[in-house]
Amino acid sequence: MTSFRKRTVQKPIRGTRTSPHTAQVITSSGNPYLDVVIGGGLPLGSICLIEEDRFMTHAKVLAKYFLAEGVISKQEIFLGSLDDIPAEMLRRLPRPLTDQESMEQSEVQALGDGGAENGLRIAWRYNDLPLVNSEHATAKIGHHFNLMEQMDSMMLYNVKTTLWDDSPKHLDIVIDEEFSKSSSPTTPLLEQQPVEDAPPIPGAEIAPQEKIPAQEDENSVNNNNNNNNCSSVTCSTKTGSQESQMQLFHNPRYKGLLNDIQQVVRNESFVAGTKNNLCRVCLTSLGSPLWYDEHFGEDLIKFLTLLMASVRSCNSVCLITMPMHLIAKYDASLVPKIRQLVDYAIELESFAGSERETHPAFKEYSGLLHLHKMSAINTLAVHMPETPDLAFKLRRKKFIIEKFHLPPELQESSAKPDNCISGLLSNSNATASLDF
Amino acid sequence: MATSVLLACGLNEQKLPGFIHISEESNVDGSFLISCVLGQRLRISNAGTLLVCLQHHYQHYFNAGMRLGYNTNIFQGKTLGVIDVLSDMAGEGLASKWLTNTEGQTLTEQLVDDIRAQVESNYANRNSYTVLIDNLSILFNLGASKLQVQQFCQDLAALAKEREKLTVITKLSNSDIYQLTDNNVAKLGQVRIQVLRLKSGVFREVDGKLLIERVLDEGNYACEETRKEVLYKVNDRNVKVFAPGEIGVKV
Repeated sequence: MTSFRKRTVQKPIRGTRTSPHTAQVITSSGNPYLDVVIGGGLPLGSICLIEEDRFMTHAKVLAKYFLAEGVISKQEIFLGSLDDIPAEMLRRLPRPLTDQESMEQSEVQALGDGGAENGLRIAWRYNDLPLVNSEHATAKIGHHFNLMEQMDSMMLYNVKTTLWDDSPKHLDIVIDEEFSKSSSPTTPLLEQQPVEDAPPIPGAEIAPQEKIPAQEDENSVNNNNNNNNCSSVTCSTKTGSQESQMQLFHNPRYKGLLNDIQQVVRNESFVAGTKNNLCRVCLTSLGSPLWYDEHFGEDLIKFLTLLMASVRSCNSVCLITMPMHLIAKYDASLVPKIRQLVDYAIELESFAGSERETHPAFKEYSGLLHLHKMSAINTLAVHMPETPDLAFKLRRKKFIIEKFHLPPELQESSAKPDNCISGLLSNSNATASLDF
Repeated sequence: MATSVLLACGLNEQKLPGFIHISEESNVDGSFLISCVLGQRLRISNAGTLLVCLQHHYQHYFNAGMRLGYNTNIFQGKTLGVIDVLSDMAGEGLASKWLTNTEGQTLTEQLVDDIRAQVESNYANRNSYTVLIDNLSILFNLGASKLQVQQFCQDLAALAKEREKLTVITKLSNSDIYQLTDNNVAKLGQVRIQVLRLKSGVFREVDGKLLIERVLDEGNYACEETRKEVLYKVNDRNVKVFAPGEIGVKV
């Protein structure tokens, strides 16, 4: 009798793998360059916060990558937003590249940047070395996408999607109907703009203008209140606990959103430790001015705490984009509190509209990427990137994140970079800059 | 694995002071301290431990513990008790008892009652008993007021005073934002450990700084205090500490 036990290899969840750094199960964020920065991918149960740039362009691109990756990997998707139309956002996901296209693209990039045509005349030994650390080339999860082309809508047929936009037009209908407590797990909860505005998502079963509540009947009662005040319970089966639940959030939108998220992630497919499937929760522009009310900070923090509890306890990953620059103006102390509740806090500082847009040192880049927080979840130490100085470029087809490096100082340039920099930075005697 | 950091913090003894407070500055992760202390307490024979999970759920501490070389599952139900508030809230949703004022009790009052019940059922059989609370700022997030959190900590400190072998260790993140509460809670105990970030930037070899302040009972002045500062680095399977100035730039 030997102590030998046959090792049973469990099939991993679609779109995930075990991280070589932390031995955790990770999944791609959708952008291979971002995956490299955060150690290969997002661990299961983690929340990634993208602090939006001023014009919200680049944060939405990352959100689209996140969603597109979920579609390709056939993972369930929950998309919630007040600022955007979730259905429209799903329709405009980038098209995935095939393996062949990905290889061709990387070869073209290497040849184009490497200047093989020009060649290096003196340091010719460096000709064959890659310009940038191509760590992302070894990533085994994740896909490349083409931002110029949209994903085929047929690909959404195989993916369960749940959309939330707190649309008020459905709520009047919801309040008058009898609710069914048992919701079918195969029927996604679909709330979207009226049919005349946007056609339904292909592949998603459209609920007949009926919202199936999560567990309590009073959720839709809260959502129906356009004044965002806590309304009294009109139909309820419980008593004291419901009233205390009512006071949990002053803004009923948070409660509605949280209920819908919990209804999705509590599906048995996403039980932690099992290998069934993964749920991707994406919330865009959370904390935007559309969420403002008197108790904004309090409700937001509470919501994030409960969201953290839900996401951690199941096979899911969450990506949130927030206009942190606006939230900081509202209350500066909210910023560290929010970062405390997420596992990754990444700020996108876009150069658009700033003096850096035309600065020669930054001409190659669209902005800087700041890693404000990377925490160890389900492990002891967190993977730190090679350098915290990162910049991003939004090209026509892709969003690239790489090490930020200054361009070389060439002898051909007549104006010294120091003069340019000092001229731009100093506001006085700035004859080159025009003040309007 | 974690011996050096516990030695530096003075937490490697079998008998710990009654109340210890860990203050964590913003943008710094001090969870490793809880994992280190947990491992050390579990290794002591017949020492009871109660882990109150507010920041992470139990699975995180299990995984972190495996990295440090101990298995919490072996001890759970025996010398290790767990109050997993986070998992309860996730499982029960908005109907969780932590989110509703059941029987007119606030969140902090319910938590104190649960802790007290666990201590009373397990304390008598143990050589020592440690209550680890990670993290007090979650109580603020869930709506507890400063007064309630302060009262909560005072109740725990009083519990520790009643029972000689009981130690309570609390952690509060964003201590620079909750400065008043942080200072008040720190005053309840004999040891305060501040987890601080490096002010000058980010360094690959060092993650942050630990400032350990200990009130000495001996001597003519009860307010004598010792202060020690060490740098720490959390690695994959251990935590290293360095004296200030020990680490230099490698050329």
